[in-house]
Amino acid sequence: MKLAIDETRCKGCNLCTKVCPYKIFKEGKKANRKGIIIPELDRPERCTNCRLMHLYGRTLCGVCQLTCPDQAIHWVEELPYEPKKVAIEY
Amino acid sequence: MSYEEWYRQDRLPHIYCAGCGNGTIINCTLAALEQMAWKKEDTVFVSGIGCSSRAPGYIVTDSLHTTHGRAIAFATGVKLANPDLHVVVITGDGDLAAIGGNHFIHACRRNIDLTVVCMNNQIYGMTGGQGSPTTPLGCLSTTTPYGCVETPFDLCDLAIAAGANYVSRWTSYHVKELEKAVLAGLQTPGFSFIEALVQCPTAFGRRNKFKQVADQVEYLRSHSMLKAKRDRLLEQGEHIPGDMFVVGELERRNRPALGVKR
Repeated sequence: MKLAIDETRCKGCNLCTKVCPYKIFKEGKKANRKGIIIPELDRPERCTNCRLMHLYGRTLCGVCQLTCPDQAIHWVEELPYEPKKVAIEY
Repeated sequence: MSYEEWYRQDRLPHIYCAGCGNGTIINCTLAALEQMAWKKEDTVFVSGIGCSSRAPGYIVTDSLHTTHGRAIAFATGVKLANPDLHVVVITGDGDLAAIGGNHFIHACRRNIDLTVVCMNNQIYGMTGGQGSPTTPLGCLSTTTPYGCVETPFDLCDLAIAAGANYVSRWTSYHVKELEKAVLAGLQTPGFSFIEALVQCPTAFGRRNKFKQVADQVEYLRSHSMLKAKRDRLLEQGEHIPGDMFVVGELERRNRPALGVKR
């Protein structure tokens, strides 16, 4: 699983940058076609839910998805054999 | 699997302002509904007039968008006509406390099996920021340009005094707790009232020194006090600051309820 921000729904309130315990969301810099500055993902492979959702069979943290007032944050399945980074925690 | 299938995807994105907390409360309500494993055909959302009351338009179940303040009155009719339906009322503070106040206390008194989620943004947001019955003391709005001088309503205390079976209050910052509170409210037979304080960046925050959305969310976080801590402070006889509000599960009891599923 990987995190995705729906650009057609996000209104750029930056609430997700405040709630993520890993600080995965950070404020963006460039405005998109609608003039909305959409948050960027900072090393999204650290997301707990992305890594462990299938193992536990439920949503683990999900605070960003619950907090997002515009329903813009969701998780998508990776394509088969899609290259992906792995988070290493010390 | 997820509560996202309860949304009408063709209606999104919704019309709420950027940073409005109402979307968060809909998320929490639907996440709790998802855990109840109710069928979409058996669930009815009822709302009145206001920002918050546009929410059922984005939900895939049957819904009633009714006249101002009469959401609970319509919901009472729906529930008593067919007690097999699960009725959830989504309403705002101006809808519930100001014009629908009488319906609210009588629904608490009758203890009808409804779940009322009140998105309290402490102002009339849709009509341009007039002061509502829950605007805190000293806050600016278009009808109180020198600061509100009227004591606000405490909706949870009102519901407890009128006899609701389940009462709790959370904010749009406490998403997980709010989800559990709505779930407990849905499971409780009888009237369950969940007050959710939300940020309103356009009408409330702009006039009250919350320039950013996050400032007001931070205010909601730092000025909420858990009920257990409030009770402990009262026991020790310590002072509780006047601008703090109590969050948590405030009441749970088993008064005889009306319209419970047979």
